[in-house]
Amino acid sequence: MSFMQIKDLKVHYPIRGGFFNTVVDNVYAVDGISMEFEKGKAYGLVGESGCGKSTTGKSIIGLEKISAGSIIYEGENVTNKRRDRASAYNRDIQMIFQDSHSSLNPRKRVQDILAEPIRNFLKLTPQEESRRINELLAIVGMPEDARLKYPHEFSGGQKQRLGIARAIATNPKLIIADEPVSALDLSVQAQVLNFMKDIQDEYGLSYLFISHDLGVVKHMCDYISIMYKGRFVESGTKKDIYDNPQHIYTKRLLSAIPDVTPNGREDRKLERIEVERNYQAEHKQYFDENGRVYDLSPISDTHFVAATSSALKGGN
Amino acid sequence: MVKEKDNKKEQEIISAPPTGMQVVWREFIKDRVAMFSLIIMVLAISGVFIASLFFDPAEVMKVSLRSKYAPPSSLHWLGADIGGSDVFGQLIIGAKNSLLIAIAITLITGTVGIFIGLACGYFGGWIDNMFMRIIDFFITLPSLMIIIVFITIVPKYTVFTFILIVSLFGWTSIARLVRSKALSESRRDYVNASKTLGTNDFVIIFKEVMPNISSILIVEATLSFAGNIGIETGLTFLGFGLPPSTPSLGTLVAYANNPLVMSTYWWVWLPAALFILILMLSINYVGQALRRAADAKQRLG
Repeated sequence: MSFMQIKDLKVHYPIRGGFFNTVVDNVYAVDGISMEFEKGKAYGLVGESGCGKSTTGKSIIGLEKISAGSIIYEGENVTNKRRDRASAYNRDIQMIFQDSHSSLNPRKRVQDILAEPIRNFLKLTPQEESRRINELLAIVGMPEDARLKYPHEFSGGQKQRLGIARAIATNPKLIIADEPVSALDLSVQAQVLNFMKDIQDEYGLSYLFISHDLGVVKHMCDYISIMYKGRFVESGTKKDIYDNPQHIYTKRLLSAIPDVTPNGREDRKLERIEVERNYQAEHKQYFDENGRVYDLSPISDTHFVAATSSALKGGN
Repeated sequence: MVKEKDNKKEQEIISAPPTGMQVVWREFIKDRVAMFSLIIMVLAISGVFIASLFFDPAEVMKVSLRSKYAPPSSLHWLGADIGGSDVFGQLIIGAKNSLLIAIAITLITGTVGIFIGLACGYFGGWIDNMFMRIIDFFITLPSLMIIIVFITIVPKYTVFTFILIVSLFGWTSIARLVRSKALSESRRDYVNASKTLGTNDFVIIFKEVMPNISSILIVEATLSFAGNIGIETGLTFLGFGLPPSTPSLGTLVAYANNPLVMSTYWWVWLPAALFILILMLSINYVGQALRRAADAKQRLG
C-alpha cells in the first residue's frame, strides 16, 4: 500500500521575452510524471544530465514550484500548499544533497547542524536533544567528539554521512537522495551506499534515489524509472529494466555501461553499434514529431513503456 | 577565512572555530602599515573620547576677545580662534562630534542596507526588483545637492536631522553589495537544506546566510565609516553641515576659508586638517587589511 502518490507532476519554467516581457514559451523541466511510494522500498530515477531528475526531487520536497499535477501524501493533497515549515509532511520527507560540502553550513558546528531538524520538528528537552545527536552520530558511525567540529574538518565521505544523519534525524518516511554519492570516490561510494541500505532495512525508509549511475541504481533500488526530457520513457522493477528493456532509449543507456573485462570487447562493441542503428531507425516509433516521449503504457503489471503500440508489438 | 591553524598552541584546543580572528591578526602582523594604522586609529578614537570628558563645551566655546587668535602657548595648547576660544578644546569636542555622527550614519546605513540587501538577495523575485529600482532611483539623484538644499530649507536643523538626511542616501551602496553576496549565498545547498529541515525564512536569513557574509559586512562598515567622516567634515567645511555653535572638525577646517587665517593663523585649521588626514588614512589602511583578510586570494599572511 503506497503512502504517497505523485500524479502527473509538471514543473515548467516560463521563458519571458518580447516588449512586454510576456511568457513566450516554457521550459518543460518535468512534464507529467507519476509515481507511487511504498514503505521500505527504494525507487530509482535515472537519466542523462538535464533531463529533470533533480527538479523532480526538489519539487516533491517543495524547493521548486509545481506547475501542474498533484502530490497526495497519506490521502492529503500537499501540492504547493502553503504549509507550515514544521508540518508533518516536511518532517516525513527529507533530502540528501549531492554536494555534501555546500549542504552543510560552514559556520555551524556539527551538533548545531544535526540539531536543526530536531529543534524544528521534535519538541525535545536539551538533554534528549543531546542524546539524540549522539545517537545519530553513532548510527552513521562517527565518534562523539565530532560534535564540536566544523564541516571543513571532515572528509567528503564523512560529510555525506553527516548529511545522512541530518536527514534521518526526524525518522522520516521518504528520503530523496539527489545523487548522494556522485561526488565521492568509488570506495567511499560503496561505504555510503551500503550504509544507506543498512539504515533502510533498520528503519523501513523509502528512498527516491536520483542518479545517473546505472550501477549504483541497480545496487540500491527495487523500482527504476528512466527519464528523458522531463518524462518517463520506461518504468518497472529492477528486473524489468535490466533484463527486459523495451524502450530504445533504455537499451541505449544500458549498452553504455562500461564493462571492465577485456573478454568479449568486440562483441559488446558490435552490440552497441546495433543498438545505435536501431535507435536511429526506430526513433519515430518512440518519440512523436516534436521529439516528445509518448505516454506510458503497461506491458505487464509492473512494467511500463512509453511507446506507440506498434513499436511494442514489432519490437520484441 | 578557515583552516588556518598551524600554530602549535591552537592545535591543543580541540576545535578552533574558523572565526577568522587569527587570520585577521596575522594579516596585521604581516602588514606593518596596517598595524601602525590600527594603533593610531585606536589611540586617536579612544583618546578623543577620553579627553572630551575633561572639556566643557560651553567653557571651550566661550568668547574671550583678549585672546583673539592667540598663538599656541601653555594656556592655549593649540592657540585660539577669532573668538578667543581654545582650539585644542574645539578639536577634541569637534572630533568627538564628528566621530559620533560618522558612527551613527554608519550604523543606520549599515543596518538598513544589510536588512534590505539580505531580503533582496534571499527572496529575489518582485521584492528584489522593487528595491533595486528604488536604489537605482536613489543613485541617479545628486545626493550632495539634495542634502545642501535640504539643510538650507529646513529652518532649524540639528545633529539628529543631519544624520538622518545623510543616511537617507548612504544605505544604497551597502544594500547593493549585501544583495550581491546574499544572492550567491542563498543559492547554496545549505540554505536549501535548512528550508527542507523546517527552518523559517527569517531564521535562515539571519542565522545562516548573514554569518557567512559577515566578513564582507565588517570590511564595508569600516571603509564607509572613513567615508562618512569625510562627508560630515566636507559639508561643514562648505557651510552646509552642523551649525557653527556646534564644534566639529569641519568648522575648524572652515576657518581656512579666510585667506588671512589660512596664511597667518595656521594653528586654527592645521591640527584639524591633519587629524582628519591621519584618521581617514589609518581607517582606510585598516579596512584594506580587513578586506584582504576576508579574501583568501589577496591575503598576505
